[in-house]
Amino acid sequence: MIKIRNITKTYSKETVLKIDYLDINSGQTFGLVGNNGAGKTTLFSALLDLIKPTTGEVLINGINVRTSEDWKSFTSAFLDESFLISYLMPEEYFYFVGELRNFSKKQVDEFLKQFEDLFNGEILGGKKFIRDLSKGNQKKVGIVAALIGDPEVIILDEPFANLDPTTQIRLKKIIKTLSQKVGVTVLVSSHDLQDVTEVSDRIVLLEKGLVIKDIKKTKKTLQDLETYFNKE
Amino acid sequence: MIQLIKLEYKSFFRSATLGGKIAAKIFMWLSYIYIFFMTIGLAFVHGSGGAAFIKQEADVENPFLLLNSNMLFYIFAFWVVGRYFGQATPIINMKPLLLLRIKRDKIIRFSLNKTIFSFFNLISILYLLVFSLTIYSPEKFDLTQLIFWNLSMYLILYITNFLNIYLNKKDRVVIVLGVILAIVYALDFFQIFSFNPISEWIFYMFYEDKILVIIPLIILAFTYYRVIQFFKNNFFIDTGLRKKVMEAKQDNLDFLNRFGDMSTFLRNDFRLIKRSKRARTTALMSLLFILYGLIFLGTQDLLGDTMLFFGYLFSTGGFIFTFCALVPSWDSQHYPFMMCQNIKYVDYIKSKWYLGSFGVIIATIIALPIYGFFGSYHLIAVLSCGLFNLGVNSYLTLWAGAFTKVKIDLNSFKNAMGNSKAFNSKTLLLTLPQMVLPLVLYWAVSTFFGHTIGCVSVGSIGILGILFKDLVLNIIIKTYKIEKYSTISAYKETN
Repeated sequence: MIKIRNITKTYSKETVLKIDYLDINSGQTFGLVGNNGAGKTTLFSALLDLIKPTTGEVLINGINVRTSEDWKSFTSAFLDESFLISYLMPEEYFYFVGELRNFSKKQVDEFLKQFEDLFNGEILGGKKFIRDLSKGNQKKVGIVAALIGDPEVIILDEPFANLDPTTQIRLKKIIKTLSQKVGVTVLVSSHDLQDVTEVSDRIVLLEKGLVIKDIKKTKKTLQDLETYFNKE
Repeated sequence: MIQLIKLEYKSFFRSATLGGKIAAKIFMWLSYIYIFFMTIGLAFVHGSGGAAFIKQEADVENPFLLLNSNMLFYIFAFWVVGRYFGQATPIINMKPLLLLRIKRDKIIRFSLNKTIFSFFNLISILYLLVFSLTIYSPEKFDLTQLIFWNLSMYLILYITNFLNIYLNKKDRVVIVLGVILAIVYALDFFQIFSFNPISEWIFYMFYEDKILVIIPLIILAFTYYRVIQFFKNNFFIDTGLRKKVMEAKQDNLDFLNRFGDMSTFLRNDFRLIKRSKRARTTALMSLLFILYGLIFLGTQDLLGDTMLFFGYLFSTGGFIFTFCALVPSWDSQHYPFMMCQNIKYVDYIKSKWYLGSFGVIIATIIALPIYGFFGSYHLIAVLSCGLFNLGVNSYLTLWAGAFTKVKIDLNSFKNAMGNSKAFNSKTLLLTLPQMVLPLVLYWAVSTFFGHTIGCVSVGSIGILGILFKDLVLNIIIKTYKIEKYSTISAYKETN
């Protein structure tokens, strides 16, 4: 589904990302781990054509993200609060995203029903704009919006950070359900090794922009990763 | 106290504005200096009887009486209402200090006392001082009495200072005051009723009777005490320091549906204008621009037809020059989001063009009857300016937007005027060709073929622009695509 070829990103001589070859198959749930500055967000930004890589190219479903915009119709993402429109109410924001993805208001309402638990009564029907929601609630809005309209590729940067334990558990369930759907590729990054190993079936460990480990998840994966980060 | 001053010092010299935006700071200081000298000049002119001369009112030969009779109006207009727009509550940036080992009282007093030296207050004192020095002559005035009158005025000034800090949370009071003020001014202007004698009687008393200085002193002490009490009771993270939250309401924008695909975006832009103070102020300002042509009405003999044409260009294009000049910066907070959604970049830009056209069309519709009232000469001019703005200037603004790259913090507390970035030098520079081009064309054609043909030539270029919309937008989008990455990273920067 996603092909990464010879991608590098260099900021004034400092290379922050260097991946020669990485393929992510359709239907995979892909976990990206690494310390601060490992290049996780940079990689995701390059996938979404938000930064211009110094060399190399990204193909989503065979479409070069830099030369065509067609990948946008089946790709969605939530990277940070810049994916929210602060002056909208959550409903208005969902409807907006829905409209862009050819979902009617009714379809969006229907879709949102499954997230009642996650929203915990604090998001919908309130009298607040997104800018006045708590950080955690803002994140919930952004993540749910990224799921509207049956996207085939979903990119979530640090989805578990800033969320309360209950929400984290619910979100993990949601991601697991997603990954069971045929043809849905989910990319998740996290600092939290346990969270990310729990939801992913493949883990890539980045370190200073390089792929250090690329492993299929087994029972031992979490332990392996912990040992790796421990020795540093 | 010393530590607090040190903190202020650091916050000034280490602010990001000092590093990158020195030009804005210099501009600010230049305008301060300008206002400083203007104030001295104004006070001098007023003091030496210039105002009476200009007004040609023989009965107000004494400038001191004139000032006193206008004092009531000045105090409300300038000191209370004017200050409301120009001055922010000083308490807001005090949040981090709350946790430190500084007494709550001390923080409050410090931030209140800081306002004593605000530019606004100092300039008012300067005016009164220069004015008093100019009018003073031993034969006419008693020095001690004049000094005491000055003292009283300073005290009244500071009453308004602290009153305003107190009022800053209450928009309605200021609106009511503003309305009263407008009525008072209108009554006076149309010579229905003048408050001047009352004002003169009140303020002249402070000169006649030194002991009356006690009154403003007591009121000031009381106001100061009240403000301190107010903040003491409200100076907690969860109450006084929290930003005001506007209650969200669903709005019905279905009328926009007729614009098809574009309505999705137009709806958001309408909501932006409705809900963000910054955007609202800018949009309202563009409405004021409609009246800009009035300035040049009747000056044709003096300045020529071209200046009037210039005025009409602004009248119909105000929205483009103010609001659209900051497109796509209005979306800066969620630009990456927009770039990842299921929309073609060109459609997104097109929606912004529609927004601009909307503004031009509305302004032209409002301006047509206003200026058309003065004859078909004006009707044609307004119409052709509207067409030119629609068909040429809208594109130029949009094209320049690709380079603007100014991040706008929609959630900031600052007033639109308080933020130096509201005035972007690049966007101002761009209005030059936007103005010069049609003006030169109009001037050249109308000199030889007369006004009507001049207007038609400018208007038809506008129509051409509208016809070739898709072609022009496709050219513009190329620039946007090249600039995309640096725009995203510029919007990411925190300032």
